[in-house]
Amino acid sequence: MNAAITPSVALIEPEHEVARRPSFKSRALHNRTFMAGAVMITTIVALVLLAPVIGRYSPVGQDLLHTLSGPSALHWLGTDELGRDTWSRLLYGGRTDLQVGVLAVIFPFCFGVFIGTVCGYFGGRLDSTVMRIVDVVLAFPFYVLIIALVFFVGVGTHGIYIAFALTDWVVYARMTRSGTMVARTLDWVAAAEGGGLSRARVLWRHILPNTVTQAIVYSMSDIVIVILAVVTLGYLGLGIQPPAPDWGSMITDGQNFLQTDQWMAIMPGVAVVFTGIALSLLGDGLADILRPE
Amino acid sequence: MADALIEVDNLYVSFAAEHGRLLRAVDGVTFQVAEGEVIGLVGESGCGKTTIAKCIAGRIAPTSGTVRFEGRELGLKRAAQDRRAIQMVFQDPYSSLNPRMTIRQVLSELLRVHRLVARVGIEERCVQLMALVGLPRDALDGLPSQFSGGQRQRIAIARALAVEPRVIIADEPVSALDVSVQATILRLFEDLRSRLGLTVVFISHNLAVVRHLSDRLAVMYLGRIVEEGDRESVFRDPRHPYTRALLASAPRLHQVELVRPMVKGEPPSPIDIPTGCSFHPRCPRAAEVCSSDKPRLERVSTSAAHLAACHFRDETSPEAVQGQ
Amino acid sequence: MTPILEVEGLVVEMRRHGVAFRAVDDASFSLERGGALAIVGESGCGKSLTLRAIMGLLPNGGRITSGRVVIDGVTLGTAAGGRGRGHSQRQRMSIVFQDALSALNPVATVGNQIAEAPRHVLGLGRSASRERALELLHLVGIPDPERRYRAYPHELSGGTRQRIMIAIALSSDPAILLCDEPTTALDVTIQTQILALLAELRAERGLSLVFVTHDLGVVSQVAERLAVMYTGRLVETGTTAAVLATPRHPYTAGMLAAAPDVDTPEREPLAIPGSLPDPLRLPSGCTFHPRCRFATPECVTTDVRLEPVGPDHEAACLHSDELATPRAAGNRG
Repeated sequence: MNAAITPSVALIEPEHEVARRPSFKSRALHNRTFMAGAVMITTIVALVLLAPVIGRYSPVGQDLLHTLSGPSALHWLGTDELGRDTWSRLLYGGRTDLQVGVLAVIFPFCFGVFIGTVCGYFGGRLDSTVMRIVDVVLAFPFYVLIIALVFFVGVGTHGIYIAFALTDWVVYARMTRSGTMVARTLDWVAAAEGGGLSRARVLWRHILPNTVTQAIVYSMSDIVIVILAVVTLGYLGLGIQPPAPDWGSMITDGQNFLQTDQWMAIMPGVAVVFTGIALSLLGDGLADILRPE
Repeated sequence: MADALIEVDNLYVSFAAEHGRLLRAVDGVTFQVAEGEVIGLVGESGCGKTTIAKCIAGRIAPTSGTVRFEGRELGLKRAAQDRRAIQMVFQDPYSSLNPRMTIRQVLSELLRVHRLVARVGIEERCVQLMALVGLPRDALDGLPSQFSGGQRQRIAIARALAVEPRVIIADEPVSALDVSVQATILRLFEDLRSRLGLTVVFISHNLAVVRHLSDRLAVMYLGRIVEEGDRESVFRDPRHPYTRALLASAPRLHQVELVRPMVKGEPPSPIDIPTGCSFHPRCPRAAEVCSSDKPRLERVSTSAAHLAACHFRDETSPEAVQGQ
Repeated sequence: MTPILEVEGLVVEMRRHGVAFRAVDDASFSLERGGALAIVGESGCGKSLTLRAIMGLLPNGGRITSGRVVIDGVTLGTAAGGRGRGHSQRQRMSIVFQDALSALNPVATVGNQIAEAPRHVLGLGRSASRERALELLHLVGIPDPERRYRAYPHELSGGTRQRIMIAIALSSDPAILLCDEPTTALDVTIQTQILALLAELRAERGLSLVFVTHDLGVVSQVAERLAVMYTGRLVETGTTAAVLATPRHPYTAGMLAAAPDVDTPEREPLAIPGSLPDPLRLPSGCTFHPRCRFATPECVTTDVRLEPVGPDHEAACLHSDELATPRAAGNRG
């Protein structure tokens, strides 16, 4: 049999030229949405990382002689009621919020994708059990659940991590499960299985790369959702605890002075919106780039 | 046929349909395929030909009946060896290749997992496989989206060949392709068969394609084989009215005038298979016996290798009389 | 007598990745009253777009950039929208699509779908349009029209759905029926029935037909005239009998040689080498030259046009003489 596998010259046709698909990098560079999001998010990340350099003041350092001063050369965005520099607090607050946003999404992403893939591929009793749990989690209003959990495990960042770990995976699980169920019926999966590859290999090496992209795209907007949740919880006093800076608590603090010192509440609000837009653009662009055709 | 490579014996496959009814996709099918033979499985949509293919390839389990390979019964769970031995080529080359794997990744994975060649020989074998299906070496670096339909079908065939199969089940492999490239894929099948001695189960609704490629032919209607025999006897002297109708309706390039439809109506649903001969409601030759007695697939008088499931199988067709 | 349909220099532009290209390039043909023309070509050759352009149903991004469509002596406005000038002329045409299931409304009974045009376009009353729908169901050969009137599309088989599509097309009483691969999705025994129905409609109602297909095997059954299309251009036109017997364009000859024939299994089907070119990067001169075995340097530089090659037979090929004998065409093996 091996000896028989030799080129059949008569069959080779000179016209078969293979059209080249641009590389991931070049597709990314030519995608305006993605690039806009990437530039914005890079700017935000650079700013918050450089907070110690460009922050000029400590985010918690009080200066009771210069409270509620408007924007000036000394304090670019002014100071709050305790004389803390708003610009510095914005940068350090962004550090916390972005970090919590990214970290809180990692576990739900991994666990949800894993469980969704397994359920979608094998189906059966495991699948129906998991899907009932998913239904139960989804049946609770999201914020009520999170607030209840934060009360239970305590305020602060670890409360947010645990709350998201418990609830957010269901979105990824459902998404990946339906993608896997579709893929399972396609001929290329039949061909991989028929080629004698193990189920584990078909699942993780063939199906997952095709289904995970949707989850990756969603995770971008999910980071925004987490940041918004952190901000909301911060606003309610259940999130990041003072004096550590965070956009949510800054908005809460600022709303008392909306009549006189609008900057205090507006600037962290703008930061949240800007980050949200950046991540959404990034997600939309990624969806285009990661599509196989 | 003692030396049959594949034996399909009294195969039934049914699926649950609405209102607790049964859809009988395959309704008692028996046939053998000898080593090195090309058998054509012909019939219109819903006749059960793809379901049979899936049973042989181990994709679905029969409701009853058996599939044997080299005398061993094969079920859903098979040793890697047996799975490799029977490979499928699918109809739609656009859904049969993983959109995110390059051709090299697809082929080399199969070669590596099954340890078909030494690690250092993998690249060489990939190139050989490409050459075997008439594609250049650079094609290995491509993703499926970069290829045309005909090229994709070649890649799918290369993938099937990578695991050194004994049997290829081709399910309508050219129906989705443009006419001008169909011929290259047909050539490829002929070539592979003569060079590699492959056994091929070739499924198609296109009689011209089947006539061109196969040694033997089985015509299916509503889950049953209604006529079976070697190619020339079936085509020159079809004994089942359904085969005659199919042959008369086949598109012809040099047809002079309109073909008068030979059968009325459309195939009934496989949920509601008519009593007796399932073809009788549409059959121009139907008699009373046809609605009560189910004809068995039996030899016609003139040839031992030609079977038909018709009460009137020994009435020679008007076409055959003309031809003599 | 003026032809019922005349298409002159039709150019349809489509866009892909933001780049415009000519999907139909300078197509001209005409259709006699009561006649039938088949347009044949492979996927993406522009045959369906030609039909849609005539009907004013171009997909988004497509537009007619030049050319005229004349129906019964009246020129249609060629704005892609379809409304406006020539709207009433357009009503003299109806179209039948390949996929009847997606062309029918899944939540309306087929009877109501057929009665819609008589009621709202022709302005008949409720009971008159119902009568008309039942008549049409009978006309397209559906047994028991009263019962089928109340059926939903998903309850019907493929062949019956296609008959319903034809009934809907006939409901506005058109003079021209445009058929876009109406039998491609059907089994051959059903295909024969639908082709017979179309022939019957032509004979009994004097309907004119434009029939688009990829299958040269059905052409001779439906149309006495044939136009072959490649990369948006007509490469050969003529009577079906002449084109099929002595194709004078290498592409037509190649298509004929590529299809296996059920009656002559010993004839080896010969593929046309290479594959269809990318519409954004068409070859210069004759677009078929890279795949053509007759190609000479002139083919690369000369813009070929349809030239007469026989009585009522035109081909766009510099080497059509070399194909003049059936042997050279290679279609009989």
